[in-house]
Amino acid sequence: MGKRNTVQHQPNPHESTHSLKGTFIAVMLLGVFILVSWFGFYALFLSR
Amino acid sequence: MTKVQLPLSKKESRLYMAFMWVTYISLLIGGLMGLLQTLVRSGKYTLPFNIDYYTILTVHGVILGLVLTTFFIIGFQFSLMGKTVGISDKQLKVAWLSFWVMLIGTIMAAVTILVGEASVLYTFYAPLRAHPAFYIGLALVIIGSWIAAFVNFRQLYVWKKAHKGEKSPLPAFMVIINMLMWFIATIGVATSVLVLFIPWSLGYAETINVLLSRTLFWYFGHPLVYFWLLPAYMAWYVVIPKIIGGKLFSDALARMAFILLLMFSIPVGFHHQLTEPGIDPTWKFIQVVLTFMVVIPSLMTAFSIFATFETTGRRKGFKSLFGWFKKLPWKDVRFLAPFIGMAAFIPGGAGGIVNASHQMNALVHNTIWITGHFHLTAATTVILTFFGITYWLVPHLTGRRLTPRLNKLGIIQTFIWTFGMTIMSGSMHIQGLLGGPRRSSFSEYAGGEQVATWINYQIAQAVGGTILFIGILLMVYIFIQLTFFAPRGVQEYPIAVEEDDAEPTPKILENWYLWIGITIALILFAYTIPVIDILKHSPPGSLPFDWPIGR
Repeated sequence: MGKRNTVQHQPNPHESTHSLKGTFIAVMLLGVFILVSWFGFYALFLSR
Repeated sequence: MTKVQLPLSKKESRLYMAFMWVTYISLLIGGLMGLLQTLVRSGKYTLPFNIDYYTILTVHGVILGLVLTTFFIIGFQFSLMGKTVGISDKQLKVAWLSFWVMLIGTIMAAVTILVGEASVLYTFYAPLRAHPAFYIGLALVIIGSWIAAFVNFRQLYVWKKAHKGEKSPLPAFMVIINMLMWFIATIGVATSVLVLFIPWSLGYAETINVLLSRTLFWYFGHPLVYFWLLPAYMAWYVVIPKIIGGKLFSDALARMAFILLLMFSIPVGFHHQLTEPGIDPTWKFIQVVLTFMVVIPSLMTAFSIFATFETTGRRKGFKSLFGWFKKLPWKDVRFLAPFIGMAAFIPGGAGGIVNASHQMNALVHNTIWITGHFHLTAATTVILTFFGITYWLVPHLTGRRLTPRLNKLGIIQTFIWTFGMTIMSGSMHIQGLLGGPRRSSFSEYAGGEQVATWINYQIAQAVGGTILFIGILLMVYIFIQLTFFAPRGVQEYPIAVEEDDAEPTPKILENWYLWIGITIALILFAYTIPVIDILKHSPPGSLPFDWPIGR
């Protein structure tokens, strides 16, 4: 780590470790799954 | 959060292990009953010695749903309290009292069921009548759990007095929330048992108000589900981050989620009674809306878990969008078992939303879909997390180690469980959508096209049930190994700490008066008018029925 500190151009470490892009997408997918399944059962309910 | 973990003394460990023993004996007995049920429902097996199907169904529900869960939860929670806020000798003695009261109650209820005097299922719906010993046994289990709750409250109170101005350790905070919820909820079932059922079963009261008894049961019955789930959440929030080499994502978020669960778990019992006549549909709808509020803390939890995984992975250097996911410790059963539990909660939660959707409930109510649902939530999400806790808690308490061999057996156990439950719960869900009833022994219902579609699913349930029973045998074997035979050593008690630069947790999150006040206000809002309505307009009470099932 000491060596890297001497490199002039540093990526923002805060940004790379705190990125929650994957979390955002995963939670959205979870929401989509819940909605799709709910509407699926709703369609079944209406069809009966 | 407190950074120093307190050591657990031998005396303490003995108490926590006593709770674990009852848990695993219950798993064996209750699991065997479950296996027998699925075999009977396959239509290819008849119970020997004239044993009644509804007797084993009641044993299964009571022993697994009420006894196993309550003993594991109270034992695990005691250990969390011991680790973070400590327990005095006097508190330990009272904690033992809670154990013995619960155990005596359990034995009373279990024997009464086993001799065929209480075949009333775990919901003990009136007007089915059981022997008074069954109700008294259940009351003792509840009273014992209250003693445990008050020990927990006292433990935190003593710690707070000695640590003025400090926030309580997160695990202790979570335990208190769960026991508060349990206490508030069990007042309902205790009232029902003491005021309605015991006098009626003894013959002092001629009739019982059926609707009131069921309403009081479900006032307790839904928070019961969350009483099972919150200890699993405790493990997901504070144990799993440590196991994967990370830190707590957010102390404040975790506390807020638990507070919301306390507030919204109780005033929602009507969603179990959506087909119950006699309750005003407006109040059913209001409780349905309140039920949907539980989605918020559940999704907060999902977000927090994903965020913990991602933050930990990125800190280890994984940069791609989901690269961190691949590198989770899949070969560590302490992680794998709870992780599969979490994954099962996705379809489990989605199914729960269907169940709670007022009119749509008609699609699934009284079908075996419901049984499939709670085998996914309670018997997979919760139980696999409890197994995941067992792998480190038991050796920690017995001064032994989880060896690579036992870890591997645990992974095999997890796969067996997942496989068996996918078959069993999956076929229950499908059969439910085809109209297959729950709570019922094998019957061909005098033939019929629709009935003919069910049998293959019932056979699939027997296959799944058999696989699950093999999983139970393996789990009990692992438990015995971890208790007596694993090599001596030190097994870590994993509790994650906060990030060094974590934002301070708002003090309002520990304002107990506020949160308990809102909880009680919501309960009064959701229940006062409908209960007055029930009391004023109920039909005449019912005489006890001992047939076709009961005593």
